[in-house]
Amino acid sequence: MSLKDLLSPFFVWQRAFEKPYTSKRPTIDRPGAPAYRGFHINIADTCVGCGSCHEICQNHAIDMVAVEKYEGKKGDSGLRPRFDYGRCCWCGLCVDICTAASLRMSNEYAWISDDPEVFHFTAGVDEKPWQDNEHGYRRAEGYHLYPPKRIEMEMLPPEKSVMSFDEVARGYDEQQAKKEADRCVECGICVATCPAHMDVPDYIHSIRDGDYEKGLQLMYRTNPFPATCGRICTRNCESVCPVGILGEPVAIRWLKRFIVDQVDKKDYQRILNEQITESEHKVAIIGAGPGGLSAAYYLRQQGHAVTVFEAQGAGGGMLRYGVPSYRLPDDELDKDIDYIVSLGVDIRYNTEVGKDITFEKLLEDYDALFMSTGLSVPSSMRIHGEDHPRVLSGLQVLADVANGRDPGIGKKVAVIGGGNVAMDAARVSRRYGAEVTILYRRRISEMPADEEEIHESQEEGCTIVQQAIPVEVVNAETQEQVSIRWGEAEMVDDPKGGRPRPVLQEDRMHMDTYDSIISAIGQGSNLNYLPKEIQEKLAVEWGKFTPGEYQHTALEKVFVGGDFANRTADAISAIEDGHHAARGINRFLNPDAYKETEQQVD
Amino acid sequence: MNTVDEILDYAIDQEQQAADFYEDVAQRAETAGMKKILLDFSEEEKRHKRILLEVKTGEHELTPEQEVLDLKISDYLVEVEISDNITYQDALIIAMKRERAAYELYSDMAAKVPESHLKEVLEGLAIEEAKHKLFFEAEYDERVLMDN
Repeated sequence: MSLKDLLSPFFVWQRAFEKPYTSKRPTIDRPGAPAYRGFHINIADTCVGCGSCHEICQNHAIDMVAVEKYEGKKGDSGLRPRFDYGRCCWCGLCVDICTAASLRMSNEYAWISDDPEVFHFTAGVDEKPWQDNEHGYRRAEGYHLYPPKRIEMEMLPPEKSVMSFDEVARGYDEQQAKKEADRCVECGICVATCPAHMDVPDYIHSIRDGDYEKGLQLMYRTNPFPATCGRICTRNCESVCPVGILGEPVAIRWLKRFIVDQVDKKDYQRILNEQITESEHKVAIIGAGPGGLSAAYYLRQQGHAVTVFEAQGAGGGMLRYGVPSYRLPDDELDKDIDYIVSLGVDIRYNTEVGKDITFEKLLEDYDALFMSTGLSVPSSMRIHGEDHPRVLSGLQVLADVANGRDPGIGKKVAVIGGGNVAMDAARVSRRYGAEVTILYRRRISEMPADEEEIHESQEEGCTIVQQAIPVEVVNAETQEQVSIRWGEAEMVDDPKGGRPRPVLQEDRMHMDTYDSIISAIGQGSNLNYLPKEIQEKLAVEWGKFTPGEYQHTALEKVFVGGDFANRTADAISAIEDGHHAARGINRFLNPDAYKETEQQVD
Repeated sequence: MNTVDEILDYAIDQEQQAADFYEDVAQRAETAGMKKILLDFSEEEKRHKRILLEVKTGEHELTPEQEVLDLKISDYLVEVEISDNITYQDALIIAMKRERAAYELYSDMAAKVPESHLKEVLEGLAIEEAKHKLFFEAEYDERVLMDN
């Protein structure tokens, strides 16, 4: 051993008296640069749990986790992002994509712990000192990873649209559809909100891939009326689309229509390729509307023999007789119906239950029964003079038009109501050359009609008088005309948080004369086909059925669905009711099969 | 009817009569759903009766100074004839009109008596009936005039 080797350990000791090169704990706090990309901040109350941060993260550093404080509800998944700082590379893409702009980054970068398991946390939920940090990375004002505005749908200009019953919305071309599909962040919040739980992200994805046949297959899993819903759906999905928080929601309805428009009707059989194994059961359905035919489709898939009894001469119910062809052309509705019929569904048109065949006979002849006869009776205003021959019902006017009859409305028309029937009655009247005034009790913003319909009716020249309450119908000077006395209303807030209520101002009354008054204030159900003792047994609340599990009623064989059995009274809810009832009827007809499955689950 | 007790007894009797009336219509109604609704109306009247009984014993106080919103829906509706196939709309119109008539009765009586405890009670009863009317009018506004 050399002398140097012997002394070297002692030389090391001299270092003990020098300034250290490393930092001592606790560290000296050196703040990050103002725009440094540090630990995440999430405004958890604003976040809707769409998971677009999770989707875009290239390092799989973000998981969406359930948080006790946030329950899943309409427009909010109830999940919140959880960050793993063993994986995060601080790129900030999650902040850039965040649909609610709730995610940002602080300029904090120091988090010291002996435990490697702690470096992941749910931002905005787990308390961290940087949650209120004002520095760090924010998305630049006006910067979006996807275009905030939707691709506009080409519409017939109003001056042209009122000249005919041609479809107003012209449809996307392929380039437009692909661009619009690219705006979807595939979060799936729409799936939870859609009454039929359509697989929206995946069928939109099929547009990106150009695989429209796959798109059609995906849609038929939950909805056998895609051509129809692609045109007139009430779009619950779009109302919660998180892309709509900072911009316009993805045009889900138009994308659905685009897929259907790409597929020829004659190819449906090949694409959907239904493999039906016949069962020994027979099911009767009353009403060939969207509810009845949806049930027919899914029951037929299970191999049951399905007979639909329809009082009218064609199928579709309100879709045909209540929705004018400028919104839903007959051939598009027929595209949906014809495919259902092609599976072997027997529709007996012009057959009214209660008149041409009794309800009891159906109960006797069939193994199960689904009723979906909708809301076909116009509600009456119950004001004096309402039985004047120049007072027409909105439903009757629309049915006349659908049947190719002149509704005989004259040239100056008042429409009473603010729902879709009122808007369509008004727009139909414009197409017959009438000057149209819509009288509505509340404000335009409170109209139950689709916003688009209200806008289009105004564009087509209908005048909306809001806060106008009709109080009396009076004879005019000639029998060809009719007068209506109406009063202005003041809106008063509902202390219980409901819609503001209109209060008539009796010192501000008006009297106007028209060629006809079209009443469209709502509809009720017609259950006259049901024998009294059957009606007794069925649960009806507020004039509607309240079905139990799987749309089952108190009667063993009877299931119900559609407008007279749900609160929303729209096509997509009726379609889901039909699908759900089909599941219920199938369980009812094959109880042993389900018992076995349930036992296996147990 | 000159004393407060007599007026209250009259009002209590009226509430009982209303409860009996709805029960009677319920017996005639064809559907189970309408029967239930009418029996609910009857229960509502019995609740009104209980309140008035409490007023009589001093457990509850009427508040004549309170202003109740008048939606004026029932004022312009045509009278309904009671039938076996009564609808929910019919039932609500009947209820609204009955409450309106009661409100007007007590209001008129209150207007005719000089300032006194009796007048206060009559005004209080009128307010109670106006509240009941508002209950049914709000229901009509919500359930029947959905699209309007």
